[in-house]
Amino acid sequence: MKREEIPHYVLNLAVKQGATDVVVGLVEENTRMIRFSNNEVSVSKAYHEVMLNIFLMIEKHRTATTAPVSSAKNLEKMVLRLIKTARITPPAEIYAPLPKGPFHYDQKLLKGTRISLEPNELMGYVEEAIKSALEEGAKKVAGTLVATKAKVTLATSGQVHVTEKPAGLELSVRAFTSDISSGHSVSISRNASQFKPSEAGRTAGEIAKAATNPKQGEPGKFTALLGPLVFAHLVSQVGLLSSAFLVDIGQSFLVDKLDSEVAYDKFTLIDDPTVVDSFGAKAFDDEGVPTKRNTIVERGVLKTYLHNSTTAKKASTETTGNAGLISPHPWNLMVIPGNRTFEELLADVDEGIYVTNDWYLRYQNYREGDFSTIPRDGMFLIKRGEISAPIRELRISDNLPRILKSIIELSKFRSWIKWWEVGVPTLVPHAVIGDLNFTRSTM
Amino acid sequence: MEDLTEFALNYAVGLGVEYVEVRYQSDTFESVILKNGVTEASVLEESKGISVRLIANRSLGFASTNTLSRRSVKKTVGEASKLARTASRLLEKGVSMGGGDLGNEKVDIKPRIRFSNVDLESRVQLLKEADGEAEAATAKTQVKVPARILTLDTWLTDKMVVTSDGARVSSITPRAAVYTFITAYHPQKGSVQRSFDLGGTGGWEVVERWNLSELLKNEAHSLSKILLEAKEAPKGEMDLVLGPEVVGIICHESSGHPGEADRILGREAAQAGETYLKPDSLGLRVGSPNVNVVDDPTVKGSFGFYKYDEEGVRARKRTLIKEGIITEFLQNRETGSIFDVESNGSSRAVAYNREPIVRMANTFLEPGDYTGDELFQGIREGLYIKNFMEWNIDDRRFNQRYVGLEAYKIKDGKLKERIRNPILEMTTIGLWSAIDAVGEDLEFKAAYCGKGDPSQAIPVWMGGPHVRLRKVSLGGA
Repeated sequence: MKREEIPHYVLNLAVKQGATDVVVGLVEENTRMIRFSNNEVSVSKAYHEVMLNIFLMIEKHRTATTAPVSSAKNLEKMVLRLIKTARITPPAEIYAPLPKGPFHYDQKLLKGTRISLEPNELMGYVEEAIKSALEEGAKKVAGTLVATKAKVTLATSGQVHVTEKPAGLELSVRAFTSDISSGHSVSISRNASQFKPSEAGRTAGEIAKAATNPKQGEPGKFTALLGPLVFAHLVSQVGLLSSAFLVDIGQSFLVDKLDSEVAYDKFTLIDDPTVVDSFGAKAFDDEGVPTKRNTIVERGVLKTYLHNSTTAKKASTETTGNAGLISPHPWNLMVIPGNRTFEELLADVDEGIYVTNDWYLRYQNYREGDFSTIPRDGMFLIKRGEISAPIRELRISDNLPRILKSIIELSKFRSWIKWWEVGVPTLVPHAVIGDLNFTRSTM
Repeated sequence: MEDLTEFALNYAVGLGVEYVEVRYQSDTFESVILKNGVTEASVLEESKGISVRLIANRSLGFASTNTLSRRSVKKTVGEASKLARTASRLLEKGVSMGGGDLGNEKVDIKPRIRFSNVDLESRVQLLKEADGEAEAATAKTQVKVPARILTLDTWLTDKMVVTSDGARVSSITPRAAVYTFITAYHPQKGSVQRSFDLGGTGGWEVVERWNLSELLKNEAHSLSKILLEAKEAPKGEMDLVLGPEVVGIICHESSGHPGEADRILGREAAQAGETYLKPDSLGLRVGSPNVNVVDDPTVKGSFGFYKYDEEGVRARKRTLIKEGIITEFLQNRETGSIFDVESNGSSRAVAYNREPIVRMANTFLEPGDYTGDELFQGIREGLYIKNFMEWNIDDRRFNQRYVGLEAYKIKDGKLKERIRNPILEMTTIGLWSAIDAVGEDLEFKAAYCGKGDPSQAIPVWMGGPHVRLRKVSLGGA
């Protein structure tokens, strides 16, 4: 059997065996990852995987599997085992039949882009990033370059049979001028022409240089200017926690907040995978439903949770095209920009702190939104509208709903962020937050 | 799979590489998810493939495939070699492999009760009973537990590692794990949440030992008490007793991670970060003489158990801090060659398609000789922090924060009223140095430690006894 025939073969077999609803996904992925540290490559990696994902329902009885592709005989065994498992799986709360196609998909989204996986070309990107960071004054540079090409075929009992070919380039680069002075930047793109390894290296180097010889920061509540890496981290939390599944299990501060004011009135957060050539562009979700632009927060008001067909049925609404077969999730988040330049935002802060990056965000309580996260890389005092001195060793310890309502202003220039700490591609401006709470170690 | 791994090894050697290691790994999972008392879905998952890790022109290459044919494996070896050779133009120092106690053994962990003997119905029943106990525990109060998620995973790892310098090890390891997330809610007092993992190596007997129903009942009861009774946490200087769960996370974050040799060398600088320790930090005092922290993959039944690591090196107990002094780093063969020491068996990967890197296994504070009563009797005014929710640490592993969940005031050596969310925000050396007494008990909690790029969530235990800290400034500055 040819590989492309597998989804239909599995689908038909499962339906014949009594499944009421079936999703079969065949994913073939080729990835190259170059990791570098101390100005040299630490390891170069190649992954080639072909995986079969099957989700099967006999009405309320639901089961799923992920497995490597194998022979027709083994596939048949796998389907029979799944049917048997589904029959003995106790019924779920909701039975929502899979959305029925055929659907119309944006051909430009299906087509994908061309990315080279040629080692020489990829090493060239790494070389550019390291070189430009060193030219800015960095002493050592570390990071990761990822190049991915995939082919995703989806067949469902809802008359879906569709293939898309996502591809992308990602660079995350961190430059150091000393053990305690560093800067970080990223570049992500669906195509080589918009990929900017030198720019990312240069920005990381510039921040690292400016962050040299930081002084111990003082705790307290400050007006904070958050760089794109930090704001994307916070905003992506809003996107992730707008999943109707997470709301249902209380793992979200957005419980019972639909149509309520959850943020500053100029804050609008959109999940839009339909923007061709944007990093998280995607034609269909895991149920085969065409993706669409969803406004999660509009001018500060929570307008929708993200749904698959099951969570949508429970909430008596329609799927938003964000399946996740168990838990819906965002694809490609975007914050509507403000109308001020970075310099104008900075000029308006009389006394505050500029934070360029953070990591390790953990909640005490998701439902209340109480959390902390740790600034890393360049962090600077702002005095009378100007960056005055680098500081270190502070923690942001606050409440996410409070932060969202305390946004003062957003910049008009935005950056795409995706890296180790921000898994969903997120387009964000700089943000000014009022009275952000900073703490530090006591001893 | 022996034929295919040997084929890959020989093909790589024929390409003239300096070192090669080939790993076959299959992980088969069976999971069930219970959401608010109702089965959400059952999940079967199989991850199976081969990876090759090699050094060519002093450059490290890694490639993996889940197409298990000679043709595909040959192509995979070729890709690893080509990538490594191409990268060699961007090398200064390059990579080599140090020594280690290389194994030649098959290690099969025999379950007392095979997972295949426990049907899905019994698994669901177990979760439902535990979930029911959690609901019932608060039934007589105004506190409800309206949002609950429980997952049960059992899985089998079948692994084989061969290296060009003679290691030949294979293993079959069964593991079980439970994840819980519970929200307790009161209309006037708001909510509190609790999340934790249980995990161990072995068959279904591991799950039976947990007594899940009793555990969930106690957790829900505790959450309701926190909501109804807990008072605002005090700030300022006081004595503390920390429970084994808190001690475990401290050992993991503030001793295990800082002592990872790859982190010390800057290899994780752009992701999980670096460490305050330097290559010459062996011998540095970081804590009181009461502090002895070890990492030991050989603890039987532990979630982080293994006998040989992914480089074929025999695992052993590592003493990270002895009597308050840094004594050993976690090393694999790559870092060992730079430090000029043998690997101590710390190389782990979570799946066939992940690069083995330096990881912890089971990190814990070794017990002392204080009874529970003795620890508490020594405190006139203080706090007992039993467990936690929020935690984090900076990327140099020097400033950490642990926010307690179940916590009590101590007065004249006795436990008094409950305290809500006490904050421990301290430096690593400040924290280890404040420990003046270590209990004789020892408990572990399971977790999935995240590190690497792509991130690898690897099973570990973390634990310790109850400990007493003197004159700690609570509340963060």
